[in-house]
Amino acid sequence: MTRPLEGIRIADFTVHAAGPFCTHMLSQLGAECIKIETALRPDIFRKPHAVYGRAGPATFDQVASNKLSVRLNLKHPEGVALAKRLVAVSDVAAESFRAGVMERLGLGYEALREVRRDIVMVLVSSSGQTGPDSHFAGYAPLFGAWGGLGYLSGYRDGPPLEMRHVMDHSVGMNAALATVAALHKRRRTGEGSHVDVAAREVASSLVGDALTAAGAGVAPERMGNEDPQRAPHGLYPTAEADRWLSIAVDTDAGWRRLAALTGRQHLASDPRFATAAARVANRAEVDGVVADWTATQAPDAAAAALQEAGIAAHLSWRASDIAADPHMRARGAIVDVAETGDTTRAAVGFPARFSGSDQPGMTRGTPELGAHEEYVFGELLGLGQARIGDLIADRAIY
Amino acid sequence: MQDLKPLDGIRVVERASGVAAAYAGRLLAAMGAEVFMAEPPEHSPLRREAPFLPGGGSALFAYLAADKRSVLCDLGDPEGREAFHGLVAAAQILIDDTPVADRAAQGLDPAGIVERHPHLVHLSVLPFGAEGPKAGWAGAEINLIHAGGEGFLLPNGLSADLFPDRPPLKIAGHFAEMQGGVTAALAALSALWSGQGQFVDVSVQDANVAIGAFAVQRYGDGAVEHRTTRSFRYGGVIECRDGFVELLTLEERQWQRLVDLLGRPDWATDPALTDSAERSARGDMINANIRAWAKDQSVADLVARAQELGVPMAPYNTPQDILEGGQETAREIFREVAMPGEGRVQIQSAPFRFGPEPLSVTRGAPKPGADQQLLMSCVPPEARRVQA
Repeated sequence: MTRPLEGIRIADFTVHAAGPFCTHMLSQLGAECIKIETALRPDIFRKPHAVYGRAGPATFDQVASNKLSVRLNLKHPEGVALAKRLVAVSDVAAESFRAGVMERLGLGYEALREVRRDIVMVLVSSSGQTGPDSHFAGYAPLFGAWGGLGYLSGYRDGPPLEMRHVMDHSVGMNAALATVAALHKRRRTGEGSHVDVAAREVASSLVGDALTAAGAGVAPERMGNEDPQRAPHGLYPTAEADRWLSIAVDTDAGWRRLAALTGRQHLASDPRFATAAARVANRAEVDGVVADWTATQAPDAAAAALQEAGIAAHLSWRASDIAADPHMRARGAIVDVAETGDTTRAAVGFPARFSGSDQPGMTRGTPELGAHEEYVFGELLGLGQARIGDLIADRAIY
Repeated sequence: MQDLKPLDGIRVVERASGVAAAYAGRLLAAMGAEVFMAEPPEHSPLRREAPFLPGGGSALFAYLAADKRSVLCDLGDPEGREAFHGLVAAAQILIDDTPVADRAAQGLDPAGIVERHPHLVHLSVLPFGAEGPKAGWAGAEINLIHAGGEGFLLPNGLSADLFPDRPPLKIAGHFAEMQGGVTAALAALSALWSGQGQFVDVSVQDANVAIGAFAVQRYGDGAVEHRTTRSFRYGGVIECRDGFVELLTLEERQWQRLVDLLGRPDWATDPALTDSAERSARGDMINANIRAWAKDQSVADLVARAQELGVPMAPYNTPQDILEGGQETAREIFREVAMPGEGRVQIQSAPFRFGPEPLSVTRGAPKPGADQQLLMSCVPPEARRVQA
């Protein structure tokens, strides 16, 4: 049984995080993704990264994984011509440069439509392809700031919260969704699409409820870990240092079960805590009595006991917990892949299971630069060895 | 041919009590699918979730249910169940977040659904998925942001500096659950593309681990990330006279332009700072200077000058800033629709578009059972005994 997007081919011009995550998701769904790179400006994972203390290229990069790699110098007319030939045999062309860059390279939507009339072109940018800010540069923390997600997150008495990679990858996930929707449209109408994905709009879409409230004159503010209708609701200490337990009690019956579980039955009938409204009004006291119990508990056992009692609870997990989790491994959400140097490591598989496919999402680690040129330039585009050699010598393939 | 949407002609039935499944439905509706919320007789619990509008309705529900239709279906009742199956028979996708243990009693078990509707993409959206040792676990937003790994890493930057001893912090609203929703919509459309009816099992935890994959990657590199050490060495959240900005310079030329923006003070033109490793080492000194300087700046003016110079900087926009923003207005990302009991409400369109125009939002969230007659039209005549 094949994966759902088997047969779809992507010419992938994306760089950095958000765009590559989009095509990485599509590749895990079965699309053949050809990553177009150049030694003139290597993608971020092929370079040292001072912020992360990496002195050389990464041996593994999640979002570049599962892809094929070819080199193309898009500053060279023959490189651009080859890019167009690749697009002509692809269903999707994806890019994540600043708005306008692809046009300047001669690879704008109209140019691509000339070689592939029904191309689905996916353009991922910080602020969208139109509007006064469309030329703005941005990274994940800036998307979160522009979109209101940053302002609304944080402690009540503190500053806004800086968003990190999850913001980039949220953008990529939305872009992947829009891409598959555009393929459905193509199937029905025969028409391609110009899919414009704006990162800051993704950030605001994730607080769309708060924006709707604000539009009606109700101004939402930062509220830390609180829930306006629920208590206890937060992160509580356990007997182990820096091992936090998240607990969310949804109903009065849940509160009574919690009181029983903790051996403090008197709290169930205490009028300060008996109803959700009372618990919310006395939130600090609620948190205090819950923390008194959790602080004496072994972390994993407490989470399991709470779940056994029907109370939503989970430890605050580190990456090491996730990589080893039997549940996620059973689901194929964590898989082992080969990295450079023939060692294996934990990587993240596609976050859904399909009864119609028994194929794993991830089959390859991160490709070496230009590792798949024989297949792509030779087999797909039909170039002979001599011609490929000339293009390499001329630095069109570079 | 105005307003053609990519998913025109696709019909979806949604049985959702949580944000993740409802957001999957919302995204499909935004792209043109006809989405029927099959609400229980006591109505969707999302109608009772904060934040609230002045008329008492839920702003969360207003956002999640825009462009959807509503029918009431009592799945505990044979007639209600028959009507529900009539609706599902005419749909391509069924979205369901009923807990695994309750599915059989409601006729929603995957085996029963595939037998009756072999063409269907049956999309299950649960906190920890429908299969695996933790499939039965309950998970609210705050649990899921921590089960996915990002919760442990928040906050960093200024919040972590100010409050180093506080517990970790969630992201606003329903961030983790919405990630589950986006992933679920992607998985459902992909399964539909394959042409093969099937059961699709989405876990909100998996979705959050996927978008948090960088932490797993760093772990493979030998580093377990921690909120107190993940901060950028300088830049980040910077307080100005009238609000906050985000500043992040990752490339050499961006640092050089930042020095220009600062007015080339002596501390910033120190030749030692031309080395990026040295800048990281002296991050505290750099940020102390940037923070002192920014105190007197106005957000709008500073961001305009920074972007002009090519320094990546953005304002921490308030909801009102976004509703009235020049970029948002130019791109018409908000649409006003009528919502019963609330009058006109503003709803953000999908964060992507399939041409120069945004996807329209045409209908406000419906009243419970507003489309009951459509349900009846899906039911074979011999089974038409169900009343709204």
